[in-house]
Amino acid sequence: MTFRDLLPLLPLMLPALTAVAILLLLAFHRSHRLTAWLAAGGLAAALLLIPFACEGAPRRFGALLVVDGCALFYTGIIMAAALAVAAFSYGYLARRRGHVEEFYVLLLLATTGGAVLTASSHFATFFLGLEVLTVALYTLIAYERGAFGIEAGVKYLVLAAVSTAALLFGVALIYAELGTMEFSKIASLLDAGAPVSLLMPAGVALILVGVGFKLALTPFHLWAPDVYQGAPAPTAAFLSTVSKGAVFAAAMRYLVPLDLPSHRSLWLAVAALAVVSMLAGNLLALRQGNIRRVLAYSSIAHMGYLAAMLLTGSPLATAAAMFYLLAYFVTSLGAWGVIAALSEKEGDAERIEDYRGLAGRHPWLAGALTLMLLSLAGMPLTAGFISKFFLLTAGVEGRLWAPMAALLLGSAIGIFYYVRIIAMLFAPQEDAPPVRATHWAAGAAIGALVLLLIALGVYPAPVLAIIQSLIAASS
Amino acid sequence: MAELLWLIPALPFAGFLALALLGSRMPRPLVATIGAGTVGLSALAAIAASLALAGSAGAEEGITRTLWTWISVGGFAPAVALRLDALSAVMTLVVTIVGFLILLYSTEFMAGDEGYSRFFCCMDLFVGAMLTLVLADDLLLLYLGWEGVGLSSYLLIGFWYKAEANVRAARKAFIVTRVGDTAFALGLALIATQLGTLRIQEVAERAPLFWGAGSGMAVAAAALMLGGALGKSAQLPLQTWLPDAMAGPTPVSALIHAATMVTAGVYLIARMHALFLLAPVVMGATAVIGAATLLMAGLSALTQSDLKRALAYSTISQVGYMFLALGVGAWSAAIFHFMTHAFFKSLLFLAAGAVSMRLRGEHDMFRMGGLRRALPGAFWAFVIGAASLSALPMVTAGFYSKEMILERVWSSPRGAGWLWAAGLIGALITALYAFRMVFLVFFGEKRQETEGRSGARVMFPLAALAALSIGGGFVPMSRGTWEAHALPLTLAASLASLLGIAGAWFLFHRRRGMTERLAGSPAGALLRRFWAGGWGFDQAYDALLVRPFVRLTRASREEFADPYSKGVARTAGALHHLLSRTVTGQLRWYAMAIAAGTILLIGMAVFL
Amino acid sequence: MATLWPLAVYLGATLAIVAGIVTLSYLLGERHEGKARGEPYESGILQTTSARLRVSAKFYLVAMFFVIFDVETAFVLAWAVSFRATGWAGYAAAMIFIGILLVALVYLWRAGALDWGTSPNRKRSCNETGKQNGST
Repeated sequence: MTFRDLLPLLPLMLPALTAVAILLLLAFHRSHRLTAWLAAGGLAAALLLIPFACEGAPRRFGALLVVDGCALFYTGIIMAAALAVAAFSYGYLARRRGHVEEFYVLLLLATTGGAVLTASSHFATFFLGLEVLTVALYTLIAYERGAFGIEAGVKYLVLAAVSTAALLFGVALIYAELGTMEFSKIASLLDAGAPVSLLMPAGVALILVGVGFKLALTPFHLWAPDVYQGAPAPTAAFLSTVSKGAVFAAAMRYLVPLDLPSHRSLWLAVAALAVVSMLAGNLLALRQGNIRRVLAYSSIAHMGYLAAMLLTGSPLATAAAMFYLLAYFVTSLGAWGVIAALSEKEGDAERIEDYRGLAGRHPWLAGALTLMLLSLAGMPLTAGFISKFFLLTAGVEGRLWAPMAALLLGSAIGIFYYVRIIAMLFAPQEDAPPVRATHWAAGAAIGALVLLLIALGVYPAPVLAIIQSLIAASS
Repeated sequence: MAELLWLIPALPFAGFLALALLGSRMPRPLVATIGAGTVGLSALAAIAASLALAGSAGAEEGITRTLWTWISVGGFAPAVALRLDALSAVMTLVVTIVGFLILLYSTEFMAGDEGYSRFFCCMDLFVGAMLTLVLADDLLLLYLGWEGVGLSSYLLIGFWYKAEANVRAARKAFIVTRVGDTAFALGLALIATQLGTLRIQEVAERAPLFWGAGSGMAVAAAALMLGGALGKSAQLPLQTWLPDAMAGPTPVSALIHAATMVTAGVYLIARMHALFLLAPVVMGATAVIGAATLLMAGLSALTQSDLKRALAYSTISQVGYMFLALGVGAWSAAIFHFMTHAFFKSLLFLAAGAVSMRLRGEHDMFRMGGLRRALPGAFWAFVIGAASLSALPMVTAGFYSKEMILERVWSSPRGAGWLWAAGLIGALITALYAFRMVFLVFFGEKRQETEGRSGARVMFPLAALAALSIGGGFVPMSRGTWEAHALPLTLAASLASLLGIAGAWFLFHRRRGMTERLAGSPAGALLRRFWAGGWGFDQAYDALLVRPFVRLTRASREEFADPYSKGVARTAGALHHLLSRTVTGQLRWYAMAIAAGTILLIGMAVFL
Repeated sequence: MATLWPLAVYLGATLAIVAGIVTLSYLLGERHEGKARGEPYESGILQTTSARLRVSAKFYLVAMFFVIFDVETAFVLAWAVSFRATGWAGYAAAMIFIGILLVALVYLWRAGALDWGTSPNRKRSCNETGKQNGST
């Protein structure tokens, strides 16, 4: 095995190596700044390696991992998102007491788990990636150890354990049925018409429980608002983007070869999850007064939109899902970045009322948040519009009438609560609290996200071309 | 150079962005440099691009550059594409060069204003949007520019937003033009659905194939386009916003409400002329509207006491000439008149601004007078502008363009004698009101003392525009415009102009007392009020549309549509409350939900 | 569907039996409302203090470290069994694994997580990182 052979795997390994290196460093010398720089460096290096890794792709590593264009695309946006989260964390953590350096170690480990998920082609790696991601998240959620933080961490721990148990049981059922845990073999066995009993759909349904929990699809969504509210803002940003994106990528890799349209009952199950999530997410956010919970519900709805793309499995739907995920990453990270920048201490900048008159105090942050919310609502000339538009195109092409109707209905409801927050941002306020400067790293990350948001909305062609070439190369 | 076409609109946009983001923290000289400099650079780029176009082999065809395709669905692919041909080159050159001169003038004119950077920010946004409109090769992009200029016009009319009247004027302009914009948007939708494209070239190619001449679709599309053009260009019956739009700073009036934006409608029709040729009815309507507008607005201009309002009515009237030319199919004559009008009308506005600057913001002509010696620079600039506006024979640019329009109206198969007569009477009225302004402001007895002095940044644009107002007529226009004119027509036009000037001298200088007595007589006063008030359109609209509408909305506040919309809101709210109760915060309940969901999913997967 | 009815019968029977037992014990069972009823050891010695004792975090730490390092030993043993089969690649993998373990051990050691008592020079960091590791 030469270096060239390992190159495609390097983006997945670098964050893990960095985590170990930081752990060693922390044993002898504690420095928040150095740790943050190291973590950012490791993530940036992984990000920069991705174009080179693409040259060696697609490449299989045994039965466990397959590093192809799609995996590298998802890994790339995961690394970029983790980098943004690290940038938000620095200013956020600098205001906290106690040891903050371990946050970066956990962040890197969770990122590694996410990256492994995107490249997994076997239930072993799927489970391994999921667990690395989840175990690191438990601590990241409870990192602040306030009352809400601990509550959020425990809730996530218990419920994640429950859903992971369901997932494992599903894997076991499928293994019992087909004798393999490789995604491609499962699909080819089914294609070849292997006789299957009811254990097979039951197994897939149980796996959907695990996936649905991570994506916070209704009815597995109840943890999301509580956890988003209690977790530190950078963790919430990570939770709503990297964690979901990685699991979705893995679900895509597993479920698309399965050819859901030919399994009517499973198709209906996924469609029901998607539709119910779209409606429930948007309805729950409607009159919510806490912006973190609004974002939690909004992400439930967005994952519902995205889950609809699992239903066709056409290359167009795959491309639409990839673009949607990218746009969602940008938007969600931007919104959480603003919240992180405004959170002085636990419980700050939570109620929508806290954002009254923000445009006067922090015109830049308010402008960025406005753009992010408009994009979440799907306004034209933002990334959110183009991505939703592609989703609709793919959905209509795949004749997903009910999910697409729910998407439109959900989007219509969504505009209300997004605009409500925007109106609050620009409402007049008498006694404005003093303005505190945002740390430059967070500011730069938010600025870059804003630029990306507009670039994707106005000029999506190059990104689309990349996505389409990746899909063409993978299939 | 053609590759750098995108620079022309991008430079003002860059200036807009820089000023919008950092303008409030910049020192004023830097604001002025960025504000005017980006437009100046854009003008240089436009000159270079036009030279390249003229020198290239395909000058007739024009250059098209597709920057990128926005989205592409089922063959419908609106693209961000720019097109430079003879038409858009003329527009681009005028917009950038006149725009630069006006912005240069503004650096001094606006010097004392607290909204200095906001002013340049909006002006740059306007120039960028206008250039997008002009250069767009796709109707959707053109519409984006169309809305962009509407927005910046709104922002700039209400620039001094602390006075309520200004805000009201801005709102009026926005709403009235919106009527036209809606028609335009409907036209776009019609074209997009019927022809399957919004690329201007493809529309021009497909329209004759899909629609026969005079067919209903073609008439509908052209009529909707005309509706958009009427709103933007302040033509009957949507002309009422322009006089009020003078609430903005004078450079705004000069650039947006005289030289460029109000002629966007002219440009649109000239751009889409292939479509209009399919709809002779609409062409006829265009000509009639143009003729009617030019007469009515000319008479209104004759009775104004506010210098800027007089100029505004004059603009409406001159744009009416352009519509008249478009209506008879004289596309290049219309664009030629657009160009000379841009020169002399912005010159008149800037000269008027230079006068009011020295009179502490005075706009009332009857409180000026005798300023000839005190303000020689402004005087000569204004006289040259007025001469060009009155089409003083042989020496002014305005003569050549107006003469060309009249000649075409007479000779074109679509023209008619009575349209020509209307144009000729209009020319007489034009000369009359143009020199009325000259005599009222600069001759007679002095009423006010001037103060301060105008600097080079005010005087240079005046000189440059004066030179263009004289020399602009000798610029040979594209393709065979210089045909042999019928000598009698030329003589008639010249005579109308000279007669008008002489009449103005007689009525407003020599025998001013007599005129005032005449205007003071009961019949005269009534007529005067009627004309000065814009023919009662405002009152009529207020009585016929605004008040009934307000009453209707008030009456229907609790009407049949409400229970429905409120019902939707209430249902959503109720569902929200219902669902909210599932989020209890209790871990065991959450785990129960997961268990229930699992059972449901397995049930669906196994039993369905 | 035909194959499913035994499952349904089974499900129904299970539910019926569970419900039956609960109902029967509810109907037939004795009920006391005495004072001792609510106490933790109904028939035993009365408690003297609250049952919720505070146990030093050290106990948990040691228990956790034991589990972690014990499980990891199991991995090493599994590798030792298949030492020849996995060859040099397996050797490299095991070395990486052990290396990461060592790094973790060094980290814990330096953080003071392995100290039982509080030595004077480490007192401060011990108190802080001890708490820290409680959640790591």
